[in-house]
Amino acid sequence: MGLILPWLLAALLIIAALAVLAVVLTRRRRADVRTGTPLAHTDRLTTLPGYHRALLRYRALLAALVVAGLVLFSSAAVLAARPSATIATYPQTANRDIVLCLDVSGSMIDYDVAITRAFGALAEEFDGERVSLVVFNASAVTYFPLTSDYAYIRSQLERIATQFESPDGAYFDGTFFGEGSSLIGDGLAACTLRFDTPDQARSRSIILATDNLEVGRSIFTLPDAGALAADHDIRVYGINPGDTTSRDYLAQYAEEFRQVTTRTGGDYYALDDAGAIPAIVDRIGSQQATVMRGAPQLVAADTPVLPAVLALLSLASIIGIAGRLRR
Amino acid sequence: MPSLLRKVKSKLSIHAHRRVSALLEGEYSSLLHGRSVEFDDLRHYVPGDELTDIDWKATARMGTPMTRRYVATRKHTIMFVADTGRDMAAISAAGETKADIAVLAAGVLGYLATRHGDLVGLIAGDSGHTGFRRAASTDGHLEGVLQFIHAATTLDSRPSDLTTQLSYLARRFRRRMIVVVVSDDRRLGDTETALLQRLAVQHEILWITICDADPTSGELASATVFEVADGARLPAFLRSSHGLAHEYAERVAADARAIGDLFDRLGITTTRIEREADVVPAVLRLLVEHRRARR
Repeated sequence: MGLILPWLLAALLIIAALAVLAVVLTRRRRADVRTGTPLAHTDRLTTLPGYHRALLRYRALLAALVVAGLVLFSSAAVLAARPSATIATYPQTANRDIVLCLDVSGSMIDYDVAITRAFGALAEEFDGERVSLVVFNASAVTYFPLTSDYAYIRSQLERIATQFESPDGAYFDGTFFGEGSSLIGDGLAACTLRFDTPDQARSRSIILATDNLEVGRSIFTLPDAGALAADHDIRVYGINPGDTTSRDYLAQYAEEFRQVTTRTGGDYYALDDAGAIPAIVDRIGSQQATVMRGAPQLVAADTPVLPAVLALLSLASIIGIAGRLRR
Repeated sequence: MPSLLRKVKSKLSIHAHRRVSALLEGEYSSLLHGRSVEFDDLRHYVPGDELTDIDWKATARMGTPMTRRYVATRKHTIMFVADTGRDMAAISAAGETKADIAVLAAGVLGYLATRHGDLVGLIAGDSGHTGFRRAASTDGHLEGVLQFIHAATTLDSRPSDLTTQLSYLARRFRRRMIVVVVSDDRRLGDTETALLQRLAVQHEILWITICDADPTSGELASATVFEVADGARLPAFLRSSHGLAHEYAERVAADARAIGDLFDRLGITTTRIEREADVVPAVLRLLVEHRRARR
């Protein structure tokens, strides 16, 4: 708590003190002037016990009036001096671009469904984030570009999830232009190029889901694509359903995948069960949020509530007391 | 300066058609002149005349009641003792200045006295100063007496202190007089009681009390009110406090009873006046009561 105009408070208090002093002095000078209706022998009245009780009540009310007046004036003076509180804000939390980069080879479909569904649920909480979906097999296709239209994002994610599940899904259209399948290096490299605002200070990340069963020749190797992402300041979060003990022969690729993701500052999740995916997506979302918490900015905001309420209450009691005294 | 005596006369003439004026005459005559033995003349009976003074033979002859009049043995002296302290500059129960009512009451009695050739004197003052007007019997002198009371009573006067005037009276006069005290609802201390006790033996004392205003009354509720003795304000909040009016009324009644008892004991006739309109009836009442009390 602080005051934006502390000198004003001091000035008002000094003025008030002078005013009170002036009133007291003039009253003292005026005390002897007899105006009004002259009465004699009022000691008959003033020595009555009832009068004494009334006098005590009168003095109590006067004291309350003075106190209420003091509270009113000081709270008004404090209000005039603008009480403020310094609030730390953390900007940029919702300043993210996320590209979902899904391997749509046959072995990945179950996981892709889980990821899109989980991401659709996560999109409910987004505010300011932009999301894009890229699917790849031999070649990469932008299913929808970076957008913050969450209704659209949800509908598109739902649509592709339905396509994944239907036998004649069109999700793989355009993903076979290339030699082989699951060309993960090319897929990642394509995804790094989907960020349309390289000049803006936004956090960029790619959620790359692949079993890393690369068949054929890709233009970019996975480490090359990882280096490209790192150059563009993009974090890569890897989800690898193929990295399990049942597929030990892939351990070398899995290790490579892990190293690529960690090198970009991202994370790597190996799993066997599609049911774990929503938890992982959640974790990536929140991890991103903490990572992106920028330096706190201090903002001084007016906090007039307490003095304003005090002023109102004291004003109300002044009116009440004055009414009783006038009775 | 407007004539105060003219005001007194006009006050009396207002009452003339109600025969209060004539009653006053009768009461005053019987008060002071009914005791002489030397027959003077006959006149028509006026209410208030002593029944024993009616000449029944003459009444039978004339067919209308006739009253014997006697020659006064000597001139009487009416000595007014008036309080002209600042207490009397306060207002009365009806809102008029108490001094104005006092002037009027003294004027009515004084006018009756001068008409009968009696002498009217004045001892008036406050705690600091006592003024004296010798007894005389002219209208001009009476006017001077009334003017003195009128001019001396202001809010800037010194506090009221009837003791000073009463002890002046006790010190200076040896002969018997009719003493008419014009004061207000003051309480009498031991000194004053002792003085009165001593004076009541020497003189006939009539006491005119001008009633003080009731500070708890509704008419004063919105007024700024102060006590003349010390200038202290009496806030309306305090005066209009619940139940205080009743308490005050009881106190005033108790004080009035106490002083009434004292006056009864000392043989002092008294009357209370609240407003100018009541002056003439109140003076009449005073005279009637005094006549009855003497018997």
